[in-house]
Amino acid sequence: MIHIKNMYFSYEQSSYILKNLNFSIQNGSYISILGENGSGKSTFIKLLLNLLIPTSGHIENTFTRTAYVPQRFESLNTQFPITIEEILTCYQKARHIPGKKIIDDSLALVKMQDYKKALVGTLSGGQCQKIFIARALMGNPDLLILDEPSNGVDIKSQNEIYQLIKNLNQEKKVTVICVEHNLKAAIKNSTLLYHIAQGVGHICNPQDYIREYLIENTGVENYVSI
Amino acid sequence: MFQYNFMQNAFMIAILISILCPLIGMFLVLKRYSMMGDTLSHASFAGVAAGLMFHMHPILSAFCLTSIFGVLIEILRRHFKNYAELILVVILSLSVGIAITLISSGLVHANIDSFLFGSILTVTREDFYIVFLLSIISLFIVSRLYHSLMFMIFDEEGAKISGINIKFINYTFAVLVAATISVSIRIVGILVISSLIALPIATALQLRKGFKTTLLFGVLFSFIDIISGITISYWINAAPGGVIAIMSVLVLAFVLFFQNHHFPVNIHLLNLKNMAKINCMIANGKRNSDGRRKFQIQSIFKPAWHQKYQTTKFTFETSQSEQRTINSGYSISKSAPRR
Repeated sequence: MIHIKNMYFSYEQSSYILKNLNFSIQNGSYISILGENGSGKSTFIKLLLNLLIPTSGHIENTFTRTAYVPQRFESLNTQFPITIEEILTCYQKARHIPGKKIIDDSLALVKMQDYKKALVGTLSGGQCQKIFIARALMGNPDLLILDEPSNGVDIKSQNEIYQLIKNLNQEKKVTVICVEHNLKAAIKNSTLLYHIAQGVGHICNPQDYIREYLIENTGVENYVSI
Repeated sequence: MFQYNFMQNAFMIAILISILCPLIGMFLVLKRYSMMGDTLSHASFAGVAAGLMFHMHPILSAFCLTSIFGVLIEILRRHFKNYAELILVVILSLSVGIAITLISSGLVHANIDSFLFGSILTVTREDFYIVFLLSIISLFIVSRLYHSLMFMIFDEEGAKISGINIKFINYTFAVLVAATISVSIRIVGILVISSLIALPIATALQLRKGFKTTLLFGVLFSFIDIISGITISYWINAAPGGVIAIMSVLVLAFVLFFQNHHFPVNIHLLNLKNMAKINCMIANGKRNSDGRRKFQIQSIFKPAWHQKYQTTKFTFETSQSEQRTINSGYSISKSAPRR
């Protein structure tokens, strides 16, 4: 599990981006992190990944095999000369993951085995996202962190990706933390939502979040459950 | 020409640097840092000048000073995150400043031209041994760090999360670049070394292959550039550096021409049902092993004024002039290949 206690974070001399976060993530949960642009979601993820260090407070992380799926590579150089097999091989070597068939197996999980020899620049957004999920699954992770997995992906691929993540969470008991702008997907799949606004986070369950969201945006209090 | 010892030495060194330069160049180019090669080659100029002044072996002194400047670039890069190219200018100015000061002050009593433009005549067996040692060490380190370097350049954040020591690899790589430049200056010369680091890879990138294949093609192009450059420079009695640089550009131009030269094909699409107007056509033929060419055609058309644009894609293979109907509604005719 992850236990965050009294955590504050700021970049160098600027004001606090995250203020006094207290939050626990239980094993096997599916948590979506919501919030507006610039609310500190990505910073929060980087803190969980140890890419940043909290200004004060601490994070206790007991997960040993953390995998990260970055936001769809907006900055991905489509001319980069690398095949899908090479992307997965260098990940396998870097993480010292044993097994000769591991690349084929992880590609089969996302139904992308036919693209093993394809160049990364020839893939669509959804296919790219699936490859990065396949890469993350190679080390049999116990914690999967995703940054906006549906960004720039068509509806069909979105459904496939979310189904895959949900299966991993429910069948293999992989803990999932997902930064989301896709409210529908977050409410449909998550066991818990964590909403960050102006650096302050609060936990809510999906149904409460819909009610609060509707009241805030439409003033409607009665709603039909999704 | 192989009866001369200096030519044997030159060719043996040439083979080593034709492997080493594209190997390092691949990572530099993809890191968008190919100008680092140019900066460090100028740093090696200062190293050669210092070596000649203190009566050290110039390749070793160049390696030492270039390594120091390479590591300095990495340190400063952390302080000037958004202006990485500015550091290269700073180091370039400093190293050229040192070199010019040492040479113009009369403290260096040697011919520096052979290092600036490259030279076949001055290559000794001792040079070969030093180049051989540095090359073997560099090749060993690159082979050990190959996957980490590839991962880091493709996805630095992912590499960091996966536990790769980015700092250590960056510093090691800076030293590797320094070693590559030091071993190459004898033959290629300080002024054109960056062309040998970047151009074979730029040429190989045009083939649009995977990482390993691009690297192997880079080595092949580099080998062609250097060997042809040295041979021509021997016959025309010119400095090899210049000829190698010209050959590199010519090979790149040759590949660019054939890569972008689409197979000449005239395709007439005709919607037999309602005579739709074809607005756009893309055709590119690739030759298969049996000599046939495979065409992938995409057309965007508007069947009628009140209907939306439609896209259709189809492929066909052919080896001669023919006409065929595809998708039951479109007729395609193709002219005979000109080459």
